[in-house]
Amino acid sequence: MSSPPTKTTKNKTTKTAPSRPRDHLSPEDHLEILKQLYLARYFDVRLIKEKRRGRLTGTLYSSHNQEAILVGTLFPLKPSDWISPIHRDMPAFFLKDMRSGWENPDRMGMSIEEVCAQVWCKVGSPGRARDNWSHIGSRAKHIIHSTSMLAGTIPVAAGVVLADRLNGGDAVVLTYNGEGSTAQGVFHEAINFAAVHKLPVITIVENNQWAFGTPLELGCPTPDVATRADGYGIPGLIADGQDVFDVYDKVMEAIEWARAGKGPSIIECKTFRAYGHGDHDDDRAAKYRPQDEVEKGRSRDPIAVCKRYLVERGYLSNADALAFAAENKGAQEAKDDDFPPDVVAYMKKGVDYAIASPSPPAEEGGMWVFSD
Amino acid sequence: MAATQEKTKKNYLTAIREALDEEMERNPDMICLGEDIGLLGGAFGVTEGLMSKFGTHRVYDMPISEAAIVGVGVGACLNGKTVMAEMQFIDFISCGFDQIVNNLATYHYRTAGEVAMPMVIRGPAGGYGGGALYHSQMNEAWFAHSPGIKVVCPSTPFDAKGLMKAALRDKNPVLYFELKQLYRWSAIDEVLPDEDYEVPIGKAAIRREGRDVTIITYGQNVYHCLDAAKKLEEDNIDAEVIDLRSLVPLDEAAIVQSLQKTSRAIVVNEAPRTCGFAGEIVARISETAFQYLDAPVLRVTRMDTPVPWAHSLERYVLPSVEKIAEAARSVCRF
Repeated sequence: MSSPPTKTTKNKTTKTAPSRPRDHLSPEDHLEILKQLYLARYFDVRLIKEKRRGRLTGTLYSSHNQEAILVGTLFPLKPSDWISPIHRDMPAFFLKDMRSGWENPDRMGMSIEEVCAQVWCKVGSPGRARDNWSHIGSRAKHIIHSTSMLAGTIPVAAGVVLADRLNGGDAVVLTYNGEGSTAQGVFHEAINFAAVHKLPVITIVENNQWAFGTPLELGCPTPDVATRADGYGIPGLIADGQDVFDVYDKVMEAIEWARAGKGPSIIECKTFRAYGHGDHDDDRAAKYRPQDEVEKGRSRDPIAVCKRYLVERGYLSNADALAFAAENKGAQEAKDDDFPPDVVAYMKKGVDYAIASPSPPAEEGGMWVFSD
Repeated sequence: MAATQEKTKKNYLTAIREALDEEMERNPDMICLGEDIGLLGGAFGVTEGLMSKFGTHRVYDMPISEAAIVGVGVGACLNGKTVMAEMQFIDFISCGFDQIVNNLATYHYRTAGEVAMPMVIRGPAGGYGGGALYHSQMNEAWFAHSPGIKVVCPSTPFDAKGLMKAALRDKNPVLYFELKQLYRWSAIDEVLPDEDYEVPIGKAAIRREGRDVTIITYGQNVYHCLDAAKKLEEDNIDAEVIDLRSLVPLDEAAIVQSLQKTSRAIVVNEAPRTCGFAGEIVARISETAFQYLDAPVLRVTRMDTPVPWAHSLERYVLPSVEKIAEAARSVCRF
């Protein structure tokens, strides 16, 4: 990025591309990224099955087909960086700082046990099951807690890094938003403020084309959400949301820009929502979205796209690529055998913990209204 | 005696400014956010001098973005700061409503105590000044109705300074309603202590002792009630005036204690009648002090209207000394 507003278009994956951020990743990193995609997918698949069996309460907002955005945005972060995930980003809570070791208790992300306890509405959740699903966070792990009011965490994120700068830190913050959230007034207020003060706020827009039942063109007057950045004089980048390495490259650019003190940016990741808005909406979504649009939107599974790239680059053998075939399968079709055993085992630990964790004691409902 | 007389009396606005200045000095992690609070020193001058003294990294002239003012404050609190957020007029707080009631107020609750939110949101409130619909509101009930926020409303310079200090040292969000008609009203100027002091949140003050009827109020209506009490002397009615100072938490004990003596009460408040805080006080009395009552508790509030502009209209809808005195006479006649 030379000077704002800079806009790049979709990156074609070519072998002759100049040095990109991804080119500095080790072969092990490349394989770890694929592993994390499997994990994010398996988490979602497992929850969809559990929900269908009636074992979970509340609404499941599936991240199926959007995993490359989560892994690609989180992998470039330093442990001390902040994030604010929203409803469709449930895997982000445990994917954050996974590079410090999946089992590392000191890593700056949640354990799978904590996240599963939250999904199962149990006291072992970091929020002790006081608010539902994605409405958890951790000050200690630098994860901002969201509410149901979309874009509402962007000003909070700006305040977090404002304070961090005053404390002499160099953290950046990634906020996650749907394309629908960008129509909120507070989206403008917060990014405007962040741009005025050149705060390191990176706004990720997961443009999955549908805000519940409303298509993009009824929520945004321009074909690209990223052009909203022009009004703030900040970079608005567009990433291929199915390609984890394109997301990684764009986020890395934005991080370097932000850490250099140049301010915020918006990264629009183009993707497609695989299922309904929430699981309550699956049946209706099949009616309000044209079937061919759904098929096209789901035709580039992020796991397949990643595998193809790893094979091309020689990080993954053809045989290893074929060993697990989770890609292009719906949640009901996918079986445990379609995922690496360590991914399945990791999730199992979380589920076992969640099931064993009790419900919160009733009297906690009246606690913590005020701090003593 | 001579020494005290030499000391300067200070007005309500100066008292607030001194509290902010002294807390900024005392707490290096405190920052201020608001519209026009830096270069200009605030629309009323409450924050005058803060930016030049503490710098642009602690005092922020914010864009006209109330939701961002509150939201940025929430983030700063999350990351270890204490925040004073100014609403240029308390009426404008509605633009930041979601951030206050859904984000700020609930943060401690939904994190099971992990996160505290030491933020004070303050702003000029109240009618009687010809400010019309959007510069006259008294909207404390919206926030008293949102669990997780403390609500205070001082009526004297001493309380203004002491409550501001207590609020800025509290770990919880505090909404601080200051009355713009009191800012520079010299009649209430007073000498403030040299030493550091706090007025505890949740404690009412008896402004006038009396035996016959308890008048419960807060904010600038305290002075209307004191004038009414004076008038009531002509009718041989000895009124007690309670200034609540804090609405959340509410000093129920002070109310009950007074009712044990007087057995009669009226509640006076310039906010609209329906679902106003006056109604809450009547409900609490009904629940905890019914046995002491000799008469129903009456309310004197604004009519259920906005605050209109023309003086005649504004006077018509707001509580007045006459309306208060008449309500007191009425409960005493019962």
